[in-house]
Amino acid sequence: MGLIQREIERAGIPTISVSIVRKLTEEVKAPRAVFLRWPMGHPLGEPGRVDQQTVVVKRALEALEKIKEPGTIVDLPYRWRRYDDIRKDVVIT
Amino acid sequence: MSSFKNRLLARIFTRFPSLVERAAEKAAPLKIEGIPWTPVTKPLKESTVALVTTAGVHLASQKPFDMEDPDGDPTWRELHSDIPREEYTITHDYYDHRDADRDLNIVFPIDRLQELKEEGLIGGVADTHYGFMGHIAGAHVDTLIKETAPEMTRKLVAAGVDVVLLTPG
Repeated sequence: MGLIQREIERAGIPTISVSIVRKLTEEVKAPRAVFLRWPMGHPLGEPGRVDQQTVVVKRALEALEKIKEPGTIVDLPYRWRRYDDIRKDVVIT
Repeated sequence: MSSFKNRLLARIFTRFPSLVERAAEKAAPLKIEGIPWTPVTKPLKESTVALVTTAGVHLASQKPFDMEDPDGDPTWRELHSDIPREEYTITHDYYDHRDADRDLNIVFPIDRLQELKEEGLIGGVADTHYGFMGHIAGAHVDTLIKETAPEMTRKLVAAGVDVVLLTPG
């Protein structure tokens, strides 16, 4: 995913990715990413959990606007299946 | 590797994410120099957003990704916004996509993006998104970087896309 992201960014379109394997995202030097320690196949959460999916997409787009340093990975504080977590505020600096 | 074995491994990896980290450590390191960078200059509420997923999403009517090649499949499929969700399918043996089969949005958040447009948070949703299969190795890495990813990128540029959100499988 990171390799494709780099090509898009190189062509002049800003990008943001949702990472669930931090090490891979670090190694391919993705321009911008948000990271969740969530299982493979679930970058946006669980089926039917619109609230989870929405919060991840929103945080990713916020990170896109806020990240100024190339290669930044923002760790999102949402633990897997801890539904209270998704109400946590995130300050992306 | 047989498709059954892949699927079994995929289930184990899904259950134990730390194993994925370890597999990533063992993989041959790629030589990657620098970080491409395009600053964001347009407000999100005026921006058209496209999705690129590496979760193996494609339309049932399109050619499935090649699961026989151990190095994966570096090609992409066009995914249109206005296609009924049940026409989408996933071909990818390297992660457990039973949940994603039930709700595509957990790997390809097309409906969530549409809602953000209605909410006015983003300016628009691109008509066309792109699906890759995210298990590319060996010679296909070169094909991806030099041919297929730039080819797809030219289409994003031509369509006037302002922002791309990428999601894995």
